Amino acid sequence: MPIVTQPLLFGRLPPRTRKLLFALFVSAICLLFAFPVLWLILTSLRPESGVYYVHRGTEFTLGNFLEVLQDERIEQAFANSAIIATLATFFSLLVTVSSGYMLSRFTGPAARTWFGTIYVFRCVPYISWVLPLYFVAQSWGVYDTYLGLLLPHIAVHICFFSWLMKGFFDGIDPSMEYAALIDGCSRWGAFLRVALPSAIPAIAALGVLCWLFTWNEFLFALILTGNRVPVITVVMAQFVSEMGLRWNLMAATAVMALVPAFLLALFGQKYVVRGLRL
Amino acid sequence: MASITLSKLNKHYGALHHAVKDVDLTIADREFVALVGPSGCGKSTTLRMIAGLEDISSGEIRIGERVVNHLPPRDRDVAMVFQNYALYQHMSVYDNLAFGLRNKRVAEREIKAAIDRAAEILGLHDLLKRKPRQLSGGQQQRVALGRCIVRNPLVFLFDEPLSNLDAKLRAQMRGEIKRLHAQLPTTSVFVTHDQVEAMTLGDRVVVMRDGSVQQVGTPLAVYAKPVNRFVAGFIGAPAMNFLDATVSAVGSALHVTAPGLDLAVGEERARGLTPWRGRRLVLGIRPEHLALGDGGPLGRTFDAKVEVVEQLGSEMLLEVRVGRARLTVARVAAEAQVAPGDQVRLFVPSGRLHFFDPESEAAF
Repeated sequence: MPIVTQPLLFGRLPPRTRKLLFALFVSAICLLFAFPVLWLILTSLRPESGVYYVHRGTEFTLGNFLEVLQDERIEQAFANSAIIATLATFFSLLVTVSSGYMLSRFTGPAARTWFGTIYVFRCVPYISWVLPLYFVAQSWGVYDTYLGLLLPHIAVHICFFSWLMKGFFDGIDPSMEYAALIDGCSRWGAFLRVALPSAIPAIAALGVLCWLFTWNEFLFALILTGNRVPVITVVMAQFVSEMGLRWNLMAATAVMALVPAFLLALFGQKYVVRGLRL
Repeated sequence: MASITLSKLNKHYGALHHAVKDVDLTIADREFVALVGPSGCGKSTTLRMIAGLEDISSGEIRIGERVVNHLPPRDRDVAMVFQNYALYQHMSVYDNLAFGLRNKRVAEREIKAAIDRAAEILGLHDLLKRKPRQLSGGQQQRVALGRCIVRNPLVFLFDEPLSNLDAKLRAQMRGEIKRLHAQLPTTSVFVTHDQVEAMTLGDRVVVMRDGSVQQVGTPLAVYAKPVNRFVAGFIGAPAMNFLDATVSAVGSALHVTAPGLDLAVGEERARGLTPWRGRRLVLGIRPEHLALGDGGPLGRTFDAKVEVVEQLGSEMLLEVRVGRARLTVARVAAEAQVAPGDQVRLFVPSGRLHFFDPESEAAF
């Protein structure tokens, strides 16, 4: 009986044809996922009159981008989104890394309670947090401020990413930390000087995920911010107004919003892959 | 330099798991003690309690004159080698070696001198700039040894340091650890599940089982006079043969009999055996104490049928059948003409017989 080492799909065809078919298949899948983005880019390059006929006509323009860039509110939104994403990433990593470490290394009532708490919060549907958060933000006087948006983001990150971090630390052999304890470190010293440096790829991966998550977040931003702190996702949605739909401008803004996320994903990809494999 | 004293040491994990039971042990200054036993016997837990990595449920640990029960590991002045080396992956070998001394705020010049000395002893000079992951297993474990000796601690603790190495390297590192101890005599506790390591390295061997110490003694004493059937079976390779046997009086002499086997017991062993006359016991014979001997005296020999022959080049191992029992015979000359199916006559000196109580398993 022959030993089958290759998938039998198109097994009867010659190898070159099979490779070609495979390449076509993969390209088709990629295209499927990339199609909305391509359509978006195409739309952003069309004049307002052309947005409903993106597939027809040959008129292309950069005017949408120029128009959007002249809008101060959009510039401000970009800055706000970047600042909030960066701050949220920084502060949530501070908590997430140590909480993941605790979940991985310690057993006992404190760790169990913490584990249970974030588990429960994780199970609550995302959208059901928003309304209570709105009231809390109002009563604390942080509605429509950086803080008002930062705190919920950090909380969400802690609940979601502590688990990932626990997984990373589970993969790091604890005997290195034991050696450090014997070599003169305190428990904190062993964490900061030995465990943490070994987890840097994982922390970088988590940082990338946190940043992208906050940058792309819409729901919290929509409910918890008003005019004082515009963020990019909300501003983008505001092109849909009573005055009509400005698809071309929305697309241009969206394309610009894609760029930082795309760059970060591109350069962070190797960390994410390495970190998740750790 | 310091002795280690464990008194009534206990470790409980929850209510159900009693990992270490009333361990009493005194380790003299500069002594090398090997803790040996099957996995889960509590030897590693005992070591980790000495290191301070594991809380003590009850009892007392002294290093030198100091009770260290509640001291954190860093204040106990011990150094430890781990099974998986536990080198700091993000640091160079040099920084790994320096880590402990830097924590003690030793001057860099002295650190360098200490590392030079250690590197000299262990042949690490060419590796100092590398990262641990660029080293082989043997090299990593040498670095781990180096990390211990630069600190010049009161006590060395070894937690199965050779288990991750291949057989050849293991033998080599065993020699290296032995040489190191001769060169820098430091009180050492060495945990292993490999009785060969325990026997070759330990000044004394501590055999543990299910959390309790079974026997403490020099390697030779533990081998020659095991206190119970467990120790007898655990120490020595190939493992001791055990047979169910009966004691009977033949004239004035005592005989041990089993199907296919009738051995006269010499006077030196007969006294302990007298109360067992007419009763069943477990007879133990080490494979290396059985010899092919046609001309042996009556009452010291028995016949057996060869079932399996294992040629090792330097010697042969035989598996033979006597009555219903299977015995292993070691140290048969490699050139001996033996084939499966052959009938052979085996000889065992009466002084080499071991007797165990079938219920308590204690030796007598």
